[in-house]
Amino acid sequence: MKLRVLFFGAFAERRQERECELQVRKAMSLTDLLVHLDFDVGTPVVLAVNCQVVNDYKMTLADGDEVAVMPIFSGG
Amino acid sequence: MSQVRIQHEDFSVQDEVDVLRQVSRKIGGIASFLGCARDFSEGREILSIAFEQYTAMALGAMQQLREEAMERFDIIEVRLIHRVATVLPGEQIVLIVVGAEHRAPAFDACRWIIDELKQRVPIWKKEATSDGELWVSQHP
Repeated sequence: MKLRVLFFGAFAERRQERECELQVRKAMSLTDLLVHLDFDVGTPVVLAVNCQVVNDYKMTLADGDEVAVMPIFSGG
Repeated sequence: MSQVRIQHEDFSVQDEVDVLRQVSRKIGGIASFLGCARDFSEGREILSIAFEQYTAMALGAMQQLREEAMERFDIIEVRLIHRVATVLPGEQIVLIVVGAEHRAPAFDACRWIIDELKQRVPIWKKEATSDGELWVSQHP
């Protein structure tokens, strides 16, 4: 399946990319994705799948999902 | 103009209040919150603040906030604007205007909306300071 992953703010700068496409062969959870992306477990992060924040990192991703990997929000 | 907007250009507080006031003659109290750029933060001089947003999600989250506020509080109308331009100290960033029959729910909704916005809307600040640029971690 194919996933589109978006990065924002400090994460985009650190990775030097704003988005990437991943082709994965087996089912992948959000936790699996963070590991795949080499994110430290302790890094504060907000994850959204198709523009909806997801707190259950065991959630299994589906083909075509857009996953946003975001730092803690600081607007306002 | 739409009640909920993300925009580069500046906004007029008076224009937004005037538009809101026209919504209903039942409005007896209008409360507003105006967030501005400061010239200091955590001991550093701020030269400017840039914004980044997840556009597809941020506008939806702000619209959701408006709808939730309308359900949660006894209010009549809400206008909510967030700028994403590079702003200088003293310039306007965010505006919330709430109209209600009475002042208490207008004040309460205004406070609730800005608190929730900071938690739920994917916008980030990057400050240009005298010590260089840095992404802002959440402010209380």
